[in-house]
Formats: sequence, structure tokens, C-alpha cells
Amino acid sequence: MDTTGRPPVLHASGLRKRFGETQAVDGVDLEVSPGERVGIVGPNGAGKTTTLLMIMGAIDPDEGTIDLVGQRLPDGRGPAMEHVGFAAGYLPLPDKLTVIETLDFFGSLYGMDTPRETAAVVLDELGISHLADQRVESLSSGQGTLVGFAKAVIHRPRLVVLDEPTASLDPDVAMRVRDRLETMNAEHETTLLLTSHDMREVERLTTRVIFLRAGRIIADGPAGKVVADAGYPDLETMFLAEASRLREESL
Amino acid sequence: MTSPSRRRVRAIVRRNLLAQSRDPGHWFLLIVLPLVDGILFGSIGVAFGEGEDPVTFLVTGIMLFHLIWQLTLAGSFGLLEEVWTRNLMNLIATPLTEREFLKALGLVGLIRTAVSITVISLVGVVFYAVAPDSAGWVLVPSIVILLLFGWAISLFVIGMTLQYGDSAEVFSWGTLVLLMPLSGFFYPVDSLPPVLQALAAVIPLTHVFEAVQTGLETGTIAWDQIAIGLLGTIVLFGIVVWFLNRQMRRFRAEGWVTRFT
Repeated sequence: MDTTGRPPVLHASGLRKRFGETQAVDGVDLEVSPGERVGIVGPNGAGKTTTLLMIMGAIDPDEGTIDLVGQRLPDGRGPAMEHVGFAAGYLPLPDKLTVIETLDFFGSLYGMDTPRETAAVVLDELGISHLADQRVESLSSGQGTLVGFAKAVIHRPRLVVLDEPTASLDPDVAMRVRDRLETMNAEHETTLLLTSHDMREVERLTTRVIFLRAGRIIADGPAGKVVADAGYPDLETMFLAEASRLREESL
Repeated sequence: MTSPSRRRVRAIVRRNLLAQSRDPGHWFLLIVLPLVDGILFGSIGVAFGEGEDPVTFLVTGIMLFHLIWQLTLAGSFGLLEEVWTRNLMNLIATPLTEREFLKALGLVGLIRTAVSITVISLVGVVFYAVAPDSAGWVLVPSIVILLLFGWAISLFVIGMTLQYGDSAEVFSWGTLVLLMPLSGFFYPVDSLPPVLQALAAVIPLTHVFEAVQTGLETGTIAWDQIAIGLLGTIVLFGIVVWFLNRQMRRFRAEGWVTRFT
């Protein structure tokens, strides 16, 4: 429960996942309240993507439980995902459909009655209405990422999971996406859970940072406090120091 | 008011039909290949057969082959398309269930099958005066078994695709190509070398085609062959469903999804 007594959007407890010899996630406990903006960061191999995939029910944890928007996974995955949106900067969309067809398709998958009308509104909010009738295969990578973001929010989800959301965007478009995320968060109390290698983006977009290292949480709190407690000037320096430490250990 | 589940099934069907209709390769498989096959096998029947029977047998054989093949392609290409376009993770991050996805691919398969069967039937009627229903009522149970068999192959390919990604494409068309010479689509199985006849006997399709052949020759229904074909297909279907369930469990347990991101 958060301070107002509302149940968390996400409650994960004791998550563990091993792939062969690699312990990808090693005892992660995570609780995210409605309206929180949480960034999961850490060097490559820290367990960020595995954690996100377990949260969305795409990977079963070896141990631990996950409650997503009030549904226990894996059985409640379907109903839970009606309230979750997902976008990744590196994931393309079906290339032979137009943008509006793509959004109509995903809106229908989320169970929406009239997705095409909402799609037009979302495209307008992102300033890309002019792309509606273009085939996805003809879009630039930045435009594709924006459409992927539109796909993730078309159903007005309670939780938006973002993996490298602005990876292929130019600074101007990336700023528009961040603005949109902040507006959604402020107006609809949409919870944000994101991973990114852009530490400035994490500092700007999130109110809480979870730092992972070798599958474990090594720090959890507001970005300023996390870096101050660890003795670093900012998140980027902390990230580089952890990555360097990991590299030395692996040698 | 349509239920969310039905909307999801309809969305997957529509997405597949839109994507396939915009891909010249699918038109080739759906229209050109059945047309060419109809002409090829019809003409072989005319050239080497005596009377109308070989033509009827061959045209009926290729029609029923496409019935299974198009269904198999729809199922396996349905998932492969998502792999090729790297869209699988996007689908997984929605409420779409495996059951809804498979139901939609089955419907796409039936549409593909109807189109290709129509093409071959037209070739048979127009060029060789062979009616598509020449074998009579035996076609009804035979088609039901063949559809079930084709869907079992689809599910097998889907299970393989979950593990091997687009490397599993070969199974989508290769499985039936492997079974085709052994199961008497185009000739009685006693034309096969004796050792292969024993192998042919355990393939359910062989018995269905024996029944179709009997229907063409005598106009009667060989219920014993139909029963063996049905039983074998049900056993195969059960094994494939077990295999697919196991593959889906492994997909989530072993994190195979990361291969598709």
C-alpha cells in the first residue's frame, strides 16, 4: 500500500532467475506505487531486461511472486496486461501495415472497442498525425520509435514499461516523448517503469532509481540520494564506476 | 457487443490477411502454385493415364494436398511473420493469449485453404473436366481428418519456431513434402518399395487417401480406412498438443523470448 492506502501497481517479491550458469536475477524485491516514475539501471548483464520480462509475464521466475495491477502472475497475466503498455526503442512494428492500422491492431489486442478513434488522438498528441497512412516500413527509425510509443499508450495504461525508450530518437523528438510521459504521469497518474542507458534521461524522468548489479538491487531511492549515498557526483559517474568494477571482476 | 477475446482474434486474422495480401510471395503460394500444380498433375494424368481416372485421381490428390499444405503454411507463417518482423515481443506484451493467437491462425488457414482449393477446382473443371467432388461423400470425413492433420503439423512447426526462430521455416513446407511421397497422394502406396510401404501404413494420411481412392473407383466410403486415418490423426494431434504445451512452458521458463527481441 502507498501512503494513501492504494495497492501497488507492481509488487514483486524474491525474484530469482538463472540461465544455465548465469544467475541473471538474484533475489529482487520491488514495489511500485501508482503514479511513481521508476528507473531500473545497471551495466549490461545486471538483470534489467530479465526483470522487466518477468514483470510482464514473458519469463517465469525460478522463485518469487509477481502481482501486477492486482493480478498474480502467471495466471492473471491476460487481465493484467490490459493495463500495461510496453515500448522498446529497439523493437520494430509490423512493417506491412500502415501506422493507423498498426495502432488499430494493437488497440484491438488490448481489448479496445474503437481503437482507431483513440489512435488518431494519440498520434495528434505526439505530433505525428501526418504519418497515419504511411506504411511502418517507410518510417525513419525515430518515427518508428514514436509509433511504438503511441502503441504502448493507446489504451491509456496504468503502467507503462519502457526499455530504452528514446534510444534512436534525435534530441528534439526524445524531448517530446519525455514531455508526453511526464504529462501522462501528471494528468492520469500513469506509472512509469523504464530502463535506459541514458543516465540523464533517467535522472530527468524518474523520481526513484533502482540500481541493479549482477542481478541484485544495490541501491533504491531518488537519484540524488542514490548517488550521494554511494559517494558519486551523479548517476552517470556511478554507472561508469559500476560497469568498470564489473569488467575488472570478470577479468 | 464483441468480447475483448473475440476482438483480439479478429485483429490477428485481419493483421495476417493484410500483411499477406501485401506480400507478393504469399500470392504466389496461394494462387500461382495451386494453378501450376493443378495443370502439372492434370497434364501428367492425361499424358500417362488411360481414360479419365488417373486425371481425376491426380487432380483430387493435388487438391487435397493443398488443403493440408495451405493450412500448415498459415499456421507456421503466422508465427514466422511475427519472428521475421521482430514483432513477437510486442504481441507478448499485450493481453493476447496463446489460445487466441492459435485460433486466429487457424481461421487464416481455413481462408487460405478455401482460396487455393477454389483455384485447383477451377483448373480441374475448366481444363480437365474433373469435378472437385468426384470422390463423392468420402470427401467430407476425409477433409475433416486432413484439416485436423494439417493443423497438427502447424502446431508442431509453431512449437519448433518458438525454440529455433526462423530456422524452423524449413519445417513449415518441408514436413508435408516429406510425407507426400509416402502417403499415396498421387499413386497407390503399393507402388512404393516394400520397406516404405510399411512406413506408409503408419501415416494416417495414407489411409485417408486409400479411402479417397476407393471413393473415386467405386463411389463407396471405406469406413475402415477412414477410422484408421482418424484414430492416427487424433493420436498425432494429442502428441503435438503435448509437445506445443511443453515448448510454451520452456519458452517462458528458459527465456527464449530474448531470442526474438
